[in-house]
Amino acid sequence: MVRRVVKQGGGTPIRKAQIAGFSRATVSANVALSRLDEYNRPVVFGKTTPADSAAQPSDIRAVRAIGDPTGKEGVTDMDILTYLQEASTQFGPSGHEYAIAEWYKKRFEPLCDTVTIDPLFNVLATLKPTVKPARGGHAPRILLCAHMDEIALMVADILKDGSLRMGNVGGVDPRILPAATVTVHGHTVAGKPAPLCGVVGAKAPHLLNDEEQKQNYKREDLYVDLGLPVEKVKKLVHVGDLITLNGRTVGLQNGRAAGKTMDDRACIGVMLEAAERLQKMQHASEIVFACTAQEEVGIRGAKTAAFNVDPDLAVIMDVSHAPIPASRPDTTVPLDAPAATYGPRIQYKLLARLLDTAKQHGIALNTEQAESYTGTDTDAVQIGRAGIPCVLIDLPLKYMHTTVELLDTNALRECGRLVAHFTAEIDEGWDDELWI
Amino acid sequence: MDLKTLCETQGVSGREEPVRRMVYQECVKAFGMDAVTFDGLGSVLAVRAAKKPGKPRVMLAAHMDEVGLLIVSATDDGLLRFRAIGGIDARVLVSKRVRVGYDTPEKPSLQGVIGAMAIHQQTPEDRKAVLPIDQLYIDIGAKDKAEAEKLAPAGTLVTFDTPFTPFGENCLLAKALDDRAGVYNLLRLLDAPYDGELIFAFTSLEENGCRGATAAGYRVQPDIALVLETTSANDLGETPEALQVCRVGEGVCVSFMDGTSIGDAELYRALLAVAKEKRIPCQVKQFVSGGNDAGALQRSGAGSRTIALSIPCRNLHSPATVCSLTDVDAQEALTRACLITL
Repeated sequence: MVRRVVKQGGGTPIRKAQIAGFSRATVSANVALSRLDEYNRPVVFGKTTPADSAAQPSDIRAVRAIGDPTGKEGVTDMDILTYLQEASTQFGPSGHEYAIAEWYKKRFEPLCDTVTIDPLFNVLATLKPTVKPARGGHAPRILLCAHMDEIALMVADILKDGSLRMGNVGGVDPRILPAATVTVHGHTVAGKPAPLCGVVGAKAPHLLNDEEQKQNYKREDLYVDLGLPVEKVKKLVHVGDLITLNGRTVGLQNGRAAGKTMDDRACIGVMLEAAERLQKMQHASEIVFACTAQEEVGIRGAKTAAFNVDPDLAVIMDVSHAPIPASRPDTTVPLDAPAATYGPRIQYKLLARLLDTAKQHGIALNTEQAESYTGTDTDAVQIGRAGIPCVLIDLPLKYMHTTVELLDTNALRECGRLVAHFTAEIDEGWDDELWI
Repeated sequence: MDLKTLCETQGVSGREEPVRRMVYQECVKAFGMDAVTFDGLGSVLAVRAAKKPGKPRVMLAAHMDEVGLLIVSATDDGLLRFRAIGGIDARVLVSKRVRVGYDTPEKPSLQGVIGAMAIHQQTPEDRKAVLPIDQLYIDIGAKDKAEAEKLAPAGTLVTFDTPFTPFGENCLLAKALDDRAGVYNLLRLLDAPYDGELIFAFTSLEENGCRGATAAGYRVQPDIALVLETTSANDLGETPEALQVCRVGEGVCVSFMDGTSIGDAELYRALLAVAKEKRIPCQVKQFVSGGNDAGALQRSGAGSRTIALSIPCRNLHSPATVCSLTDVDAQEALTRACLITL
């Protein structure tokens, strides 16, 4: 096991508080305030929206959602829409999480005691217990998992006319590609990054026969237009270079938001929300937040994350499908609240505990089934080491794996509150009657 | 008036007023209030009087309208059903951002997105079939039918939400380059040297069957009409050369013939000769396709001699139209140079 330990702190002023013999970091008030200013920029309606590229964050409507329905617990300092917007512009295709891992490390550092990055670029952020375990024995360790990698494309071929053919990195639906804008991550001979704006074009309609007109474009029929002559393309772009989808995150009515990489960076937002809440809560367990890598190509990062953390139990967070008009029965959960999964890969007693926690704290929590695989990090974490009891919390969204993945920021906040309470209430003895 | 503002302004066929206001102001500034009128279909006609007699009356035309979407109803769960105004291929709509309604100082447009079923939930048949427009929806985040109908009642117009972005080498990515690029050049040509009467026609309703030009042509009855347009370029993705129509960056495209008219033979030869003499990048449209205001102007009233000068444009009628500044400038230069010879 190789674990790269990274220095804590990162220049952010932190305040150490001694609680029950354990030290922990909390965000200082001035940091939180200055961040608020930055987050709550006013919206300029009717103005030109900035360019659809990773480099330029756009104007947004700051959504201040209500936390718990009674409002007793207040809201966290994190502005969800701004977080989603910033997270979606970070580069992190599956297997290339080096940049986004550093970004998440910085996000978790003010909230956690240690943050490390493992060889697969999983970010592991640890929050030490604040109180001693109930019986003075073993403090449980909880792994929280959400993946940070994004689906992307790669350059498969450079054509004579300078356009590019694409290969797939994760499950990009070719239906979303015609007239989409993308960023081609080229580089110079010296290795200097040269990101290029591209537009996806399709075989012209007049070249399609009647049968083809009725069918969707296949990825092979599409190409990326860089607006450059072939000789310049060849200097900057290489077969194997990554292509990421563009699409700024936008605020919609009722605190809803749409953008790319909500799957699954929205759920890392849930973890950040929970981490912020946990600053003010007591917990007997060690809590490890894992931003996992390579989920979209076969749930690979979670495997080593589970091995490295060696937890007693795990809470996995991933996105799920909310209903749209074409949905088939029993394949969706409502958009406005998180959902818990039941099925063979979920520990049933832990699930019961989760549902109970939600009920006690007035958090709406729906349920959905996963009769075989879950298609989430759960599938790898459950069989980590000697077996790890898992629960899976889903954040519903519409239009998964598009650049307009649409979710409810209130549901995201509530999900964070649920995770905070669930983890804070796990104490020694949590597993006394786990299997009987 | 810059091209960015023109492209980002909303103006779907039949509701071109935001563009019309801008164009009107520019024309009034150039020629005075009396020289600028609206015709029965909302085209802007700006007349520049002749300096010398005996010269042909020349109309320069470009259309103000763009393709867009029209809200027709809302579903029970608050999604907006729509229809296309103009020839939009349904395949370009999935996973795109749109503006619902027009921006006004009192009321901004609403942000919307067009989603579709996740790839995880599609059957093999789903993956193959094109989602027709009546199975696509605009999602503005409304909770139910009542909220959706209040925010975006039937009849609300929708435009693509694509920021104007220069990219590559001299290339532009925007919505509605068809035909704001032509409108932009027409405004640049208000001071073009020509001694005869010159009529600038900013037409409406081109994407709805070139109807604005039909009426404007009847009102003006020019001897010659030069149409500043965009045309579909399919020059990438290994398209055989003869089927590419034209190539972006290789100059303004002169139509020998398209789907609605045969370019006036004398004008065609004159344009190519002037381009050659003045070294203005110019190419010939290689494929007979499409149609534009030239067809309507040619046969409106007693008829006119017409030809289209088009900017090659990729992904026409999509949220991401692409053209080259080289070609935009060439269209302006060739029109300007051609006027002197008439």
